[in-house]
Amino acid sequence: MAALALVASGCGDLSNDELNRGVESLSALAAQGQLVANGVARDATKTTYARAMARTLGEQAEHEAEKLADATLEEPGTADQRHAAVAVAGEISGLLSELQTYPGDERHGELVEKHLGEAQEKADAIVAQLSGDAP
Amino acid sequence: MKAEGDIYVVHRLLDEQICDSEGRRVGRVDDVELSGDPPRVTALLVGDGLYPRRLPRRLARLARRISGPERWGANALRIPWEEVDELTSTVKLRKKAEDLGLGMGDDPAHWIVRRLPWN
Amino acid sequence: MRAILKIALGIIAAIGGFLDIGDLVFTTQAGALFRYDLLWAVVLGVVGIAVYAEMSGRVAAVSGRPVFDVIRMRMGFGMGLLALVASTIVNLLTLAAELGGIAIVLELLFDAPYGMFVFASAIALVVIAALLPFGGIERFFGYGGLLLFVVVATVFHQNPDWGDVGRGFIPSIDSSTLYLYFVVGVFAAALMPYEVHFYSSGAIEEGWTEKNLKENRLNAIVGYGIGGILSVGLVIVSGYLFHPIGVQPDDLGTVALPMQGAFGETGLLLALGGMLFCVGGAAIDSSFAASYNLAQFLGWEWGRYQGPRKAPRFTASWLVFLLLGIAIAESGINPVDITEYSVVLAVVALPLTYLPVLLIAGDRSFMDRYANGRIATTLGWIYFAVIVVLALAAIPLLLATNAGGG
Repeated sequence: MAALALVASGCGDLSNDELNRGVESLSALAAQGQLVANGVARDATKTTYARAMARTLGEQAEHEAEKLADATLEEPGTADQRHAAVAVAGEISGLLSELQTYPGDERHGELVEKHLGEAQEKADAIVAQLSGDAP
Repeated sequence: MKAEGDIYVVHRLLDEQICDSEGRRVGRVDDVELSGDPPRVTALLVGDGLYPRRLPRRLARLARRISGPERWGANALRIPWEEVDELTSTVKLRKKAEDLGLGMGDDPAHWIVRRLPWN
Repeated sequence: MRAILKIALGIIAAIGGFLDIGDLVFTTQAGALFRYDLLWAVVLGVVGIAVYAEMSGRVAAVSGRPVFDVIRMRMGFGMGLLALVASTIVNLLTLAAELGGIAIVLELLFDAPYGMFVFASAIALVVIAALLPFGGIERFFGYGGLLLFVVVATVFHQNPDWGDVGRGFIPSIDSSTLYLYFVVGVFAAALMPYEVHFYSSGAIEEGWTEKNLKENRLNAIVGYGIGGILSVGLVIVSGYLFHPIGVQPDDLGTVALPMQGAFGETGLLLALGGMLFCVGGAAIDSSFAASYNLAQFLGWEWGRYQGPRKAPRFTASWLVFLLLGIAIAESGINPVDITEYSVVLAVVALPLTYLPVLLIAGDRSFMDRYANGRIATTLGWIYFAVIVVLALAAIPLLLATNAGGG
């Protein structure tokens, strides 16, 4: 099981596929973050919940950023996308940490929700580029 | 139903739960002693010292190294067939567990004594 | 009248106690990844657990033999020992996952460090297990788990396309390994072996006889059946909310999000409260199951009804299992990951638990006129075949999909 855990943490070389998957999970984190932020914006959540969720999601975004930044690219043509992905990951984790700081503030919730939406669009655009769908 | 008649030993006796005269669960039929011709069950054998016998050969060697040899009266007990009262969903004994040396593991004093270094 | 009330109370407890962390995690992920496509696998699992719980409860009530008693009798010492080791590993992992789950839910409710809550929850479990009688423990967690009916309310609030939902109940096989992994996961989460170990030992704890067979059938079929609605509901709410926007639920907290979306803070609190009781109940059940199995296999005196003084080895082993569970939960591995391993490994251990139950339940020399009838025999063997196939597929799928990581 320890061996499995190592495989799962996926260090080392980064194939196009893995890069793609990493950016997809960034998009997923942003999507989930928006739902949490939406609860804060509508004052329809419990602050402890919003804070803990924002913390966990933020940690995952950070972890994703580290993974993307550390690995060596297998395919040299994707350096730009990797760079953009790391930036988006940083953006997402920053927004989530803001949510973590103000889990009871509706105004912050609204802003974070909006910006996470934009971050998700960026992540989705990178995914589209990687899979060759984009112009 | 006390078995004066025929029973399928493996189907009906081996591995069954043993209860004493007061209904206390005191172990399982880890093995049986057969003697005579035709063979009859003459005793139930109970105790963790008997577990290695029940395992495939290689595992048995390993198990024996862990549990030590069979020590009769300590980790292996012989319950004469005469002590069996009846066979229902359990094997019911005629006497209390203490009188047969069974169920000692549930006796806290026994735990402590057995673990003392000079024992 | 009083008898009917008592049966009704038992069924309600079975409904509320149906879910555990494995169900919460796998159904939510299944919904997020495949929308309603895996609903059929949930139903398959629910019917399976009802069939085997009914059978093991009937065997316990009629012959006085709980599951591990039966396992050792039918499979002998060697194979029985294998079943014991496998079940114990799975039960311990399950226990650790449930303890971690309690701590996560408490963290979401009270915002204090996870590690502290693992200890606090284990202590709370010891206190509850020590103070309440057996039936009380079951009901405490079972009734609390009913809070999760907020999931069903959420389904109606979301008002999904019912035609799409309906199509999810028609079995479909998608050849992607991830889909197959989730078929195994959703099915196995419903059929976790500790449930049967606990259920049949519980029948003996409560002193069931032939007279309780009707109660047994209602508990298993109606109680688990209605409980299964909660699993179905979790797939639907997750499929409705998470699937279109691509959320990947990797945390227990995510399970509660749809209910917050529908009913705000009230929905969130009901969901988290229900999860707390479900996961707490499962922690008790899996820890008891581990000690029941050990005691039954070795012939020790056992049972909450005996009290700690009369069954000291059973009680001591329960405490040891709880400590080991804490140690695993404190190791810092995400409880959701532990859950995935425990559920998938459970499939591998399942045949060893279910074959002996099936054999004894059909054996007239033990069961007399209460032996399996035609329906139970047919369903039992069909499910056994399904379980064997899934057991063979489980480990390769776990490796191929990186434990569902894609």
